[in-house]
Amino acid sequence: MTTAAAPPARTHIPPQSDARGGSRARERNWILALVVLLVAEILYFSATVTGFFGGGTGMLALTEQFVDIGMLALGLSVVILAGEIDLSAGTMSSFSGILMAVLWRDGIEIWLAVVIALVASTLVGALNGLIITIFRVDSLLVTLAMQFILGSVATALSGGSPPYGFPSSFVTIAGTGSVGPIPYQLVVFGVFAFAIALLVGRTRTGRSIALIGFNRPAARWSGIRVDRTIVGAFMISAFMAGVGGILVSGFYNAARDDLGDSLLLPAITIVVLGGVDIFGGKGRIAGVIVATFVLGFLTEGMLVDGQSSLSATMVTGMLLIVSLALKITVDRRGGFDVRAALRQRVQRSARTEGAQ
Amino acid sequence: MERGRSGPPAVTSAAVDPEAERHPSTLAPASARYAALHVSKAFNGAPVLRDVSILLEPGQVHALVGENGAGKSTLFKIMSGMYQPDTGELVLGGERLTDLTPRMALHEGIYLVPQEPTLMQHLSAAENLYVGALPRRRVPGLVDWARVRGEAATFFGRVGLDIDVQTPARLLSIAQQQLLECARALVHNCRVILFDEPTSPLTSHETEILFRLMDALRDDGLALGFISHRLDEIIEVGDRVTVLRDGAMVTTAERGDYSRNDIVTAMIGRPIGVRTRVRRSSDVTDRSEVLKVERLSAAPVFEDVSFTLTEHEVAGLAGLVGSGRTEIAETIFGLRRADAGEVWLEGAPLLHRSPRECIDAGLIYLPEDRARNGIFAEVDVARNVTAGIIPHLPRTWHLIRAKREESLAREVIGRTSVRTRSLGAAINTLSGGNQQRAMFSRWILAEPKVAIFDEPTRGVDVGAKDDIYDIISDLATSGLACLIISSDLEELALICDRVLVIYEGRIVGEVGHGEVTTARLGELVVGGAQ
Repeated sequence: MTTAAAPPARTHIPPQSDARGGSRARERNWILALVVLLVAEILYFSATVTGFFGGGTGMLALTEQFVDIGMLALGLSVVILAGEIDLSAGTMSSFSGILMAVLWRDGIEIWLAVVIALVASTLVGALNGLIITIFRVDSLLVTLAMQFILGSVATALSGGSPPYGFPSSFVTIAGTGSVGPIPYQLVVFGVFAFAIALLVGRTRTGRSIALIGFNRPAARWSGIRVDRTIVGAFMISAFMAGVGGILVSGFYNAARDDLGDSLLLPAITIVVLGGVDIFGGKGRIAGVIVATFVLGFLTEGMLVDGQSSLSATMVTGMLLIVSLALKITVDRRGGFDVRAALRQRVQRSARTEGAQ
Repeated sequence: MERGRSGPPAVTSAAVDPEAERHPSTLAPASARYAALHVSKAFNGAPVLRDVSILLEPGQVHALVGENGAGKSTLFKIMSGMYQPDTGELVLGGERLTDLTPRMALHEGIYLVPQEPTLMQHLSAAENLYVGALPRRRVPGLVDWARVRGEAATFFGRVGLDIDVQTPARLLSIAQQQLLECARALVHNCRVILFDEPTSPLTSHETEILFRLMDALRDDGLALGFISHRLDEIIEVGDRVTVLRDGAMVTTAERGDYSRNDIVTAMIGRPIGVRTRVRRSSDVTDRSEVLKVERLSAAPVFEDVSFTLTEHEVAGLAGLVGSGRTEIAETIFGLRRADAGEVWLEGAPLLHRSPRECIDAGLIYLPEDRARNGIFAEVDVARNVTAGIIPHLPRTWHLIRAKREESLAREVIGRTSVRTRSLGAAINTLSGGNQQRAMFSRWILAEPKVAIFDEPTRGVDVGAKDDIYDIISDLATSGLACLIISSDLEELALICDRVLVIYEGRIVGEVGHGEVTTARLGELVVGGAQ
């Protein structure tokens, strides 16, 4: 085994933080772009829409309108990072809110009812994950079916008249109360956002989830317990959707069995806008958190301005398409070199014209 | 200023009868020289090709050789329209091809047989043959299936592919899929066929079949391009050889004007020593047994496989592709279920095996298909290297300590001499050899007692191969028991103390100390001992 070749001299290898052009650097750039967008949006609405900024407290109060969607988005990101999808998250919120309310109406202490509802949601999430991993059915199909089942179960549980009028201690914390200028809901969102960000970014589970999303066979060959991790991801998603359902109930001071798509679709939008690759692997929770506010303030700003919710939805759709087209272009070129991309386009068209 | 030829490439084919064009088997292939002149290409600012010119002559095989990352595949991709060159031009039979697309290339008679066959797995062999060019019946929109089946057999005959035309592509071996790709080139009446490292997944026997086909195509007047890592192959089939190094042309020589050493020196920029087997401490006796595989079966793939490995030992597992060698390894590693049999590691049975349990017990497996089962392509080097020891990463409470993880990764990639810009660079920016070293790093971190290395030097260039042999040798010296699975018999003869030979799912022989030669192994792997 001797060769004349000496092993290559050990050269200094720069640390990770020095990475340029790697996937992590691109994720950072994307989050930076979202922050810029958020600031621009807030400045624009503050300047043009009276009643948006409201001395800061007005704006903070607006967050109550959308942090429940943000909760779903946080949970969904975990599943999407692993390369799966959870369409049952929307009606999971209905299920959790209704279950909590019905238990409370039947005489169970409200906070105990909350815990039971969250445990039940998490178990349904585990069921999702087990069906997907044991029978190898696509998560799109399993959770689509579960979406219908949970929606019907929620309606059936409520018996057509969802309970309302919860104790004030509950409504304050899960609903419309605030600590100084900061709504409790925003605090709850902050705590969970921090927890999920740590889970995904810093724990072994989070590492496994991302690697599974990047390349599932390679994850399996590396000894990552793929099935177990995926079941866990669905449990997290279900739990977060459950919390979202509790927050909605608190906000309206009534349980609702009609949440479904009105929560799910914006939540998926937030995840994707936040830079999480819909096929798994790439993405950071920080991006999802910023995207929650970008999308939330955009919608609320337009509503406060007196626009219809239809036009707000339309703008959301356009924002999603434009941002994704931009992001994919940037990813493919390995950096924010939009000028070079344009230059190449122009040159090519000039060449084609010249040839004709 | 000079302008490229305008419009679609209808000029050359205008004279061709459209019916004949659709069924080109009726035409004799027209010969044409195909030249790439002063081609340069950069990705994200990193130059991959610098002012490279090559000429493919009709009736010649032009072999392109160079280390991984030298730019060979990129050049072929440019010549087949998959990439656009930044500068330089392509000239086919005196005509300049501008803004070449894969579709135009096919139209002009240029076909690229890719590194990994890209057949539609669920379509039949015959359907795959005609993808994009199905013969039509008189009624518009209907396919003339009778003709597809009939002619497919003829084309398969020409490339020496002996299969039922209705066989789904997924049931074909890699070698058969490659022959099918060649047949597709014939269907399209191609004048130029570019082979991008076709032999790397093939066994020596299958390679011979491919070479005979290439000889026949050459004699028919086609211009052939051929990339390989194996010098013997280059010397065997190359009428002309061009050596690339770091994206630039080093030399071009006609057959007879170069020696094997000339090529190696040109490729790696330094002369290479002759590889000889050295006695390791592993050649001593009195070693304790670490792995025992007993009567392992998973019908119908393999049956009744038993062997043992001792510490410090490098054993080989030789066999043809499809002989069951990879399946045996995957079963030992817990990726597949066994029907019967047991695996013992250091005297303790490994029951209900999963990869995680195996790794934690000290048994690791380096997969054959690095792109699919090995690397996380877009992930940085550091996370790729630590992927095998996620449960054991240093942490405070539940949080992974990034700095400690980084220093672990840095230390281990230093041991295997991975060359990378930074720990944060995506692993797919590394050359094949460096990716493989990173895979070795991943498993060294797991501190194994037994290692199964499946095709450890596949898709790795000559220089890096030697380094990998050194890594394996060092690991064995420090006590690791290694099992090397390889199609490259020379490689097994070079690095193994003894070699087990597997044929159709059974161990048919064992070649022991001092008797390991390529000839003896070659005889056994094709079932010659029976």
